Amino acid sequence: MRSSHILGLIGLAIFGVFILGPLYITIITAIKNINDVFTIPPKLIPYADFQPSSEAFDFIFNTRGKYTFVTSLIVASTATAIALIPSLLAAYGFSRYPKAAMNDERSFFTMLTLRMVPPFAVVLPIFLYWNQLGLFDTYPSLIWTYTVFSIPLAVWLLKGFVDDVSPSIEDAAKVDGYGFLDRLRRYIIPILGPALAATIALVWLFLWNEFLFALKLGGSRIVTYTAYLPQLRVGQRVQWNVLGAIGVLGAIPPLIILILFRKYLIRVYLGR
Amino acid sequence: MPKKTFSPIFLQIPVTAIIWSLVGFVLVWLIYSFLYSTSPGGQPTFAALNNLITMFSDSRLFNAVLRTIYYAGVGTVIEVLLGMLVALALVNFISNTTVRFVVLMIFLTPMALSEAIASHTWLMLLTPQGYLNSILRSLGLPPVGWLSESMALTSLILADVWQWTSLPLLLIYAARVSVPQELYEMASLERLSAFKTFRVVTWPYIRNAVVVAALLRFIFMYITIDKILLITFGGPGFATETLGYYIWMQSFSYRNISYAATLSLATLIGATIVAYIFWRVMTRR
Repeated sequence: MRSSHILGLIGLAIFGVFILGPLYITIITAIKNINDVFTIPPKLIPYADFQPSSEAFDFIFNTRGKYTFVTSLIVASTATAIALIPSLLAAYGFSRYPKAAMNDERSFFTMLTLRMVPPFAVVLPIFLYWNQLGLFDTYPSLIWTYTVFSIPLAVWLLKGFVDDVSPSIEDAAKVDGYGFLDRLRRYIIPILGPALAATIALVWLFLWNEFLFALKLGGSRIVTYTAYLPQLRVGQRVQWNVLGAIGVLGAIPPLIILILFRKYLIRVYLGR
Repeated sequence: MPKKTFSPIFLQIPVTAIIWSLVGFVLVWLIYSFLYSTSPGGQPTFAALNNLITMFSDSRLFNAVLRTIYYAGVGTVIEVLLGMLVALALVNFISNTTVRFVVLMIFLTPMALSEAIASHTWLMLLTPQGYLNSILRSLGLPPVGWLSESMALTSLILADVWQWTSLPLLLIYAARVSVPQELYEMASLERLSAFKTFRVVTWPYIRNAVVVAALLRFIFMYITIDKILLITFGGPGFATETLGYYIWMQSFSYRNISYAATLSLATLIGATIVAYIFWRVMTRR
């Protein structure tokens, strides 16, 4: 091995420690008794330094903590389901009719802009909107807000996928007199199968992880697991181990999606 | 066969209706609140001019903007450079594809997590009695004020680098593996130095990925305030108060609604410009 090769591997190992260290810390904190969390010297190795405890997980499963995951699941899944079909129609239009009104590049750009809207700049009016409608802190308000903000991502992903399907497949169907809905249903959707699954997973992931809207549009009745985290810090004592345990549980779906849909992850950013 | 006339406009109606049901109100409300200020129980008064004057003479805003540029700028540079180094090292130094794949997946893990989880992980590390300081202490080193006035913004950048170096890494890695292997064989026949090979062979292939990754990281560091909101609350003092956090405070703590709307509109205009730059880069190819 050349010395540059060894240096490169050492560099990668250092980066690996940098990435894995905080993950490891979160996991061991989750299985600690609250008194073992912060000590000098730190207790870092289970069984050697401290006795693992299910205190944090017991707390989650015996309090409303467990419902926060259910809430996140309901909100993210419903919003993804509502956004999917309209987004597919729009993506199909952007892909196949780039010259038509409302389907042209300018309209697509408007859609893209919505993805780059800073949440902090719109959260106050959205909060007031749901307040005026009497829907603040209810499922409909958070679900609808999530639907609106997941559409740009869904359209962005789906347009790339529809672009990949050759239009020639449809041309034959067009000649046979099929309308666009039939073409979409019989030719596009079957081909898109795995791509649709990826779109659903990635849009869902983005909503599962969302924090800012969840914090301000929910709070007492509708609490997602991300919005629940800061609530564990009020009071006399920060429940560090519960924070860690929520993090561990909340990380499971993203990790599954990362592994299953890794091929498609890059499309979230590049669109193809 | 009777052919129904079909207009592609119909394809856009559902999403347009959904989006504007909410965004329409947001825009109208922001513009109205920028133009008029309503004190509790009082009549709306014209406030646009006042808002603009306040905005251009607000030194706290000015500092917040500078801090945002520093936070997003430094963060982006580190994430893109580090991501590029790691991506190239992965390809050059790990030849076994299974091992490389596993390592890549581990490196991508942080970006799949919620900002809220990442923030609390880093809070555990950075807090004065937290893990980093107890490790330092047990090594006989003095503890560091990670969240002190002079360090807090840097610590936030560190947390962001941990979570989001994965993104440039992913984009640049994908671009790097698309370089035809023959080019490297030719470069080695020509006895090009490692740096020359990078400049002549690798760089033209990864340049676009680097630019796109940098733009994306800059945009997302600008629009995301989750870490600031969860780790430092903009403090200590104003040490980590970025533009986004300042607007958040104006909206929810000080309740200067009209002024908050003014700043929000300004950032929306900024976001549109950035989105336009991103769009031009993406469609240039």
